[in-house]
Amino acid sequence: MAFKEKVVPTIRIGDSLLVPIQIDLDDKTVEQLQAQLLAEIQEHRVRAVILDVRMVEVIDSYISYTLTETAAMARLMGCRTVICGIQPPVALTLAQMGIELQGFWVARDLEHAIGMVCSP
Amino acid sequence: MAGKLRELLDISENDFDVVVRISREEDIAIARQMAKQLAQELGFSLADVTKVATAVSELARNIYRYAQPGKIMIRKRPEERGGPAIQVVAADRGPGIESVERVLTKGYTTHERSLGIGLSGIRRLMDFCEIASEVGTGTVVSVEKRRRKF
Repeated sequence: MAFKEKVVPTIRIGDSLLVPIQIDLDDKTVEQLQAQLLAEIQEHRVRAVILDVRMVEVIDSYISYTLTETAAMARLMGCRTVICGIQPPVALTLAQMGIELQGFWVARDLEHAIGMVCSP
Repeated sequence: MAGKLRELLDISENDFDVVVRISREEDIAIARQMAKQLAQELGFSLADVTKVATAVSELARNIYRYAQPGKIMIRKRPEERGGPAIQVVAADRGPGIESVERVLTKGYTTHERSLGIGLSGIRRLMDFCEIASEVGTGTVVSVEKRRRKF
């Protein structure tokens, strides 16, 4: 995949793919991100994807839907998905709306996430 | 109900601080950004700024998906008796909602890429939420959030 097609630059650590999301997610970018991640999972045969959403200020129902769907697709490709760094106001909003982000492993921060995917 | 809807559809844009027309996907992010800024200007907490921005994102997406073009109107109400508040009105002259009660049920959706959580979520995030809709005329959702003191 050519770099210019990527909406989010990714970093490979061992057989994991680190995805630090540092842009404001909107409907189009989250859809592009899904396509990008699926392509990268296949191309690099990664076993885990770590989504770091520390910089993401708003996660609404459609973004949640698409991220959850991405995690489900990744799982079907033999890859687990960890989400980390959800900010307190975002967590509050998601919880109040009743959104659970099913299918994700949830980590406190990047270090915790890397520990999760590296442990046997 | 029909009277209320007409009254809300005829609300003057001039009474609002910001009006965002919703006809493209990008407009959802613009409306969200505007709501965030006005809530910040009113001194809302970061948690409440996030709730308002998320609610506006849901309202704008509903217009984009089901009833575009429509508009999101936002105004600051610094002088409210219960403390400063932000009001958001989402208005469209789209197809209308057959059963408002049903769309407020968590999990109900007519769209294949949706959690069916938008309107029920908005109600939980905001302090006040009123929906007026009529099939063939349009829909107006008016929501409000007051600034909380800590």
